[in-house]
Amino acid sequence: MEAELQVLWAAIVAYVLSGVIAIFGVALGRHRERIVLGLIVLGLTLQTVSLGMRWSRIGHGPFITLFEILNSNVWSLMLVFAIAYWRIPKLRPSAAVVMPVMFVLMGWLMLAHPGEGHFPPTYRTPWLYIHIGMAKVFLGATLVALGIAGIVLLRRFGVGIRRFANLPDDSRLDELAYRFMALALVFDTLMLITGAIWAQDAWGRYWAWDPLETWSFITWLLLAFAIHMRLTFRPHPVRNAWMIVAVFVLAFLTFFGVPFVSESAHKGAV
Amino acid sequence: MRARASTWPAFFSWTLGALASLRLTLVLIVLLAPAVVLALNFEEWRSWPLAIPLAGLAVNLLAALATRPAFRVQPALVVFHLSLGALLLLIALGRLSYLRGTLELTEGALFDGDLTTVDAGPFHAGRLKEVRFAHDGFTIGYDPGLKRNTTRNPVRWLDESGRWRKSVIGDHHPLVIGKYRFYTSHNKGFAAVLSVESEGSLPRTTVVHFPSYPINEFGQTNELQLGDAGGNVWMLLDFDEVILDPARKSEFRLPTDYQLIVRDGDARHELSTGNAVSLKGVTLRFEGLRTWMGYNVFYDWTLPWLAATSALAVLSLGWHFVGKFRLKAWDN
Ligand code: HEM
Repeated sequence: MEAELQVLWAAIVAYVLSGVIAIFGVALGRHRERIVLGLIVLGLTLQTVSLGMRWSRIGHGPFITLFEILNSNVWSLMLVFAIAYWRIPKLRPSAAVVMPVMFVLMGWLMLAHPGEGHFPPTYRTPWLYIHIGMAKVFLGATLVALGIAGIVLLRRFGVGIRRFANLPDDSRLDELAYRFMALALVFDTLMLITGAIWAQDAWGRYWAWDPLETWSFITWLLLAFAIHMRLTFRPHPVRNAWMIVAVFVLAFLTFFGVPFVSESAHKGAV
Repeated sequence: MRARASTWPAFFSWTLGALASLRLTLVLIVLLAPAVVLALNFEEWRSWPLAIPLAGLAVNLLAALATRPAFRVQPALVVFHLSLGALLLLIALGRLSYLRGTLELTEGALFDGDLTTVDAGPFHAGRLKEVRFAHDGFTIGYDPGLKRNTTRNPVRWLDESGRWRKSVIGDHHPLVIGKYRFYTSHNKGFAAVLSVESEGSLPRTTVVHFPSYPINEFGQTNELQLGDAGGNVWMLLDFDEVILDPARKSEFRLPTDYQLIVRDGDARHELSTGNAVSLKGVTLRFEGLRTWMGYNVFYDWTLPWLAATSALAVLSLGWHFVGKFRLKAWDN
């Protein structure tokens, strides 16, 4: 276990360095985008190795304990952000917003106990990977949207105006963030559908108002609300940005809060 | 007369316009959120508080579909919203006709349509009474710490053409007969098979299911009614051996060395397999020990329709956004 943890800490060091360089890059107006991307890719590679070592040692993927769930989410969120960072240069400064959020997750991961959990028989199905995969893309898209919304909000509060000045104007960023919210809605919908199919197979009901199910549905409703709000009132980008923050916070609490405070079957209980 | 004739269409179109309002959509979504939180916390609040905003959304959607030009030019969006409406309708139909229940079945015994607990929609009209199946025991592995692992439960069942078939169910493989789906559960245990013979009547076989094992490891007791004259007798399944060892991997099995303790008032009897005892004119013979399995049964004819409609919803949503965002590059 030691070796896999050391590789994981090395990955985290790479992520933290990339984040620090990104934040200073924005603050000081120096563009070090290739270095930032290179460090993220290095972190991803190391973390993939660490996850693989653990997977082959304990015989199942990172789906059970808080440590594993944080670990796999740091990985998937960094992966989604890395792809967006690489493909859409305009949103690169948003790393200064996204990386601090990731630091929270990474800090939490380092505090979590890396022990093993029981892998319940209901997890031995392809739906595990499909459902969790959808959830990860959903959260990843929401994180990218949050990063863009963060720029709009920072500008509004006068932080980094100069640094962010050469970025597209608020309405263009708003449009870009909206695309990621749309992507989030599609994958959130897929997550709910695949989760219902899996629940029907595993527990004999597709919906039972368990806390994680219910809060995921409320997150979906908030997304529907945010999208309709935008259509109906065409709000200022700053308002839309706040809506995105709300969606991210709710999704974050649902993902990382509810499973660890509820005693429902979703935890993979006996 | 003329003025009246023109007021009605005006009133009608005003109402339709109000019902189709997108502000109303927002209000109804906001109303739905607390209803969902109520549903999470209180089982008795899972119908009307949800049904009212949902019905409102359905009406709002129909009115919008009929009147909003935005829908006319975006067919994928129409399909998406229609599938949301269809999902609502299917869920409502499912709630009216579902059945959910539990049953316990002794190894080798035939399910005859009777459930231990039932919860069904007012219009449930399935043919559970005709469903027949039996199970031939099961294997359940346990990991250290008494963590339940894979369940394998071989079953025999009568299909719709009247032929007996065999399959193995467990975990995410239910037994599906007609539209009834039977799922193995964590509820399972030991069953004492007894023959009961009282003067003047034919002997009959009966089974006593002891409480679920290992949850009730130290409470393997139950009562048996001996018939009108006999009243109840108390029974304990007594064994010392460790069936499931928390320290290592193990497998659920019957104990090899056990006794049935029968208490009738102050009298206490210890029965091994094959022993009999006379109680108040009733002879009770302990024929042996078997397993019993607890099943959850679920019936909802809408399941395949729900799956298909959900697939349509998400495909049309994707189609709408692809069409919308294709026109302008992401890194514009
Ligand atoms: C039930 C009442 C609803 C009504 C009356 C309604 C109405 C509408 C209308 C008229 C539009 C087109 C607006 C335009 O292009 O100008 C629209 C778009 C949309 N609605 Fe709804 N809707 C409802 C519920 C929902 C729900 C529950 C969702 C769930 C997520 C949803 C998701 C969407 C999406 C994703 C769009 C497209 C947004 C875009 O093109 O950017 N709607 N809706």
